[in-house]
Amino acid sequence: MKIDHTQPLEYSTDQNQLNILGFWIFLGAEIMLFATLFTSYFIFEGRTGSGPTPAEIFEITPVLIETFVLLTSSFTIGLGVHAMRLGRKNAMLTFFGVTLLLGLVFLGVEIYEFMHYYHVGATYQTSGFTAGLLTLLGTHGAHVTLGLFWGLFIILQVKKRGLTPENANKSFIFSLYWHFLDVVWIFIFSFVYLKGMM
Amino acid sequence: MKELFPAKQVMGFVFSLILTVVALLVYFTDMSFAVGMTVLLITAFIQAFLQLVVFMHAGESKDGSAIYTNVFYGVVIALVTIFGSLLILIWDM
Amino acid sequence: MEFFERFAVPHASPMIYASMVAIALVSIGIVVGITYFKKWGYLWREWFTTVDHKKIGIMYLISALLMLFRGGADAILMRAQLSAPEMKLLDAQHYNEIFTTHGVVMIIFMAMPFIFAFMNLIVPLQIGARDVAFPRLNALSFWLFFAGAMLFNISFVVGGSPDAGWTSYFPLAGNDFSTSVGTNYYMIAIQISGIGSLMTGINMITTILKMRAPGMTLMKMPMFTWSAFIANVIIVFAFPVLTIALLMGTTDRLFGTNFFTTTNGGMDMLWANFFWVWGHPEVYILILPAFGIYSEVISTFSSRNLYGYKSMVGSMVLISLLSFLVWTHHFFTMGQGALTNSIFSITTMAIAVPTGVKIFNWLFTMYKGKIRFTVPMLYSLGFIPLFTVGGVTGVMLAMSAADYQFHNTMFLVAHFHNTIIPGVVFAMLAGLTYYWPKFFGFMLNEKIGKITFWLLTVGFVLAFFPMYITGLDGQARRMYTYSEATGFAPLNMLSFVGAALMAIGFVTIVYNIYYSFKNSPRDIGSDPWDARSLEWATHTPVPEYNFARVPQVASSEAFWDMKKKGHQLFKGEIKDIHMPNNSGVPFVMGIIFFIAGFSFIFAMWVPAVIALIGIFVCMALRSFEQDHGRHIHVKEIKEIEAQYGEVPGNENRSHTTTRV
Repeated sequence: MKIDHTQPLEYSTDQNQLNILGFWIFLGAEIMLFATLFTSYFIFEGRTGSGPTPAEIFEITPVLIETFVLLTSSFTIGLGVHAMRLGRKNAMLTFFGVTLLLGLVFLGVEIYEFMHYYHVGATYQTSGFTAGLLTLLGTHGAHVTLGLFWGLFIILQVKKRGLTPENANKSFIFSLYWHFLDVVWIFIFSFVYLKGMM
Repeated sequence: MKELFPAKQVMGFVFSLILTVVALLVYFTDMSFAVGMTVLLITAFIQAFLQLVVFMHAGESKDGSAIYTNVFYGVVIALVTIFGSLLILIWDM
Repeated sequence: MEFFERFAVPHASPMIYASMVAIALVSIGIVVGITYFKKWGYLWREWFTTVDHKKIGIMYLISALLMLFRGGADAILMRAQLSAPEMKLLDAQHYNEIFTTHGVVMIIFMAMPFIFAFMNLIVPLQIGARDVAFPRLNALSFWLFFAGAMLFNISFVVGGSPDAGWTSYFPLAGNDFSTSVGTNYYMIAIQISGIGSLMTGINMITTILKMRAPGMTLMKMPMFTWSAFIANVIIVFAFPVLTIALLMGTTDRLFGTNFFTTTNGGMDMLWANFFWVWGHPEVYILILPAFGIYSEVISTFSSRNLYGYKSMVGSMVLISLLSFLVWTHHFFTMGQGALTNSIFSITTMAIAVPTGVKIFNWLFTMYKGKIRFTVPMLYSLGFIPLFTVGGVTGVMLAMSAADYQFHNTMFLVAHFHNTIIPGVVFAMLAGLTYYWPKFFGFMLNEKIGKITFWLLTVGFVLAFFPMYITGLDGQARRMYTYSEATGFAPLNMLSFVGAALMAIGFVTIVYNIYYSFKNSPRDIGSDPWDARSLEWATHTPVPEYNFARVPQVASSEAFWDMKKKGHQLFKGEIKDIHMPNNSGVPFVMGIIFFIAGFSFIFAMWVPAVIALIGIFVCMALRSFEQDHGRHIHVKEIKEIEAQYGEVPGNENRSHTTTRV
């Protein structure tokens, strides 16, 4: 495999560059995926049937925790990639570990939130609104869950095999994924929660 | 230690926190729906753009233009889908 | 026993029992045959585990042809049922199932794999690449498509076919009105193959953007590659919409959510909306690669450069954007206001402009050209007038006020078959004939090919043009019978005759393959058509590494300019070539997806969860796997090259005179 040393490690082979561009195109598809979910949410927002309305079930505290936790995790994984580019393997692993921990906290709060919805009578089957809301949140949450496993695998591989071009490439792509989930959350935070509680 | 916290990313993080707090004003103060939505739209899109440029390094490689085109194309089609569907099914139904 | 009752087919008829027996016998026959000839090892090594884009392309091709016959059988049954008033061949339920599966099979499992076949076969060769960007993902795409196709096809004999139309509109497709598992099949089978299509889209875009030969700028790409590129861009942004719509439909049916119901805030119209947000771009996903094939064929057999290269590219880029702006024209009568309908009427008519540009470009390409009337060229020549008729009736349908008259009549059926058959099917057959020698080493018989062409063209005109008239007279689509008094009978009989001619035409294709395999000469050289672009600069059949040396490109018709202007395509020494390793994981994942899908369809949660875990385990294993591929060494390459005896690109081209 030809390694081009003038580039950062994650770009250093042809296959690495293909992987990064390919992943960006995948993110393009993800934009449409979440756009479709947002569309359905906006359509269903006012269609609550006999169930509760958005303002009745949203709580600001868990949303605030989720938002700041995810924002911070997006910052720490950015630092992780920066450390990787400096060749600081341990620092990078620490940042990646912190990111995953924050992700775990996010997920925990989201699970609490879902249980809260269940208790106030907003289940998956209740109405068009709850189905739209829980599918949007659930798809994002499923992405985060998948990301936790993926990130864990990457930490294990970097630990075992070091900062190879292949591992650097995977780590960088994972960081793209994680930032993207943060972007999606910003839109959920703004146009689902804040709009709903305004 | 200092080299692990580059100014660009720290500033980006601080700025994203500020944007979040501004967005929260919609909840904590009494705004009309139109003003509130305007604030949310502005803060959300700036924040997304910030992530794209500062944290995701979208433009750094020689494929930068392809990447920006891809994202821009996706966002345009996404907005068309969202607003087109709202037009069909709510505003003009 | 109770457990097995769920797999029984509701409304079973002798025809379905006969199919069950036939499917069982054929399956047993295949297994016994492979075992008897000891071909399992060969199949596993060379096909099931392959990541070679050419072999994957051939597998897509074979699947597409099989599905063409499955969908064709549905079609001929429908036409037979309608050939006379009050026919008793099919009952209403059976007819519903057949028009549903006909539509789904033809669009998702015939046309899509056909275009993927050509993208896989041609795109890497046209851009001078060794393979696609992600060869293993490519294999996974194929096996997901295949799992979806098989899943959809067994619905016929296990549990019952979907019967809510290929559009599967809710609330009809909801649990209240579609009580069998048929619509579950629809949701899950299309979901699985749709994921495969999305992956292909990502793969092809990356390939085309990053793996072009040196010198090939975007504006020097051959037209088929351009069309494939644009089609894949549409795939990447359209298919996620379908993914979500199908997900919602699935949860409605399996978990009792209220997305598309009529109670508790559900909105059935949202399904129609999402379906067409995907569905209209899907039309262009199919037609653009077809346009690409026509462009290659027309310029080759007119012996002229494609007229208006830049306007061709520009019109496709415009189509790719416009295709996302017109979806409402599929449901002008749904109840939205005049403002919305007007907007979408105008955007729809606007799409006729770039399409018209392309038609004129093809005409100008032929103008003053030395036209050779080969089979691929005949299809292209048939395409232009017939497709134009389809396009013009499309503009009629685009007028929303008039659409209240046309909507859901046979006029619409005539219109979209008039675009899809001369547009897509003819292109696929032209491509099949044109590229056949490159991959199989012999040419298809021209005489039989011409008979096929005329059977299909005459059959098509007889089958579909009468529908314009019956449609305007008020014959609704999807009606399983009609009375004598309607007066539809003679024209429907004519349609049946046309459909029968088409059926004979498709059979002659199979015969042609058999006949040519037996009788065609094998010494056809690498360029039997005197063609123009880079895929013809390879050996025939193409070696696994495609090009021993990476070509140096200076124009969009690199191979032609090499032949006529003496450009040198291949320079420098042969070097070691890096190739990806084969892998059985995509095949295994296809099987697991099939099991997962089947379990979801019948709401069997334990196997469903196990299969889902299996999928994630496969992904995790892939993450930890270290596979750096292998190298083909110079010595080996030289040996392989020597076997071909000639090196295209710098040999004396004495055999370029066409054999046709």
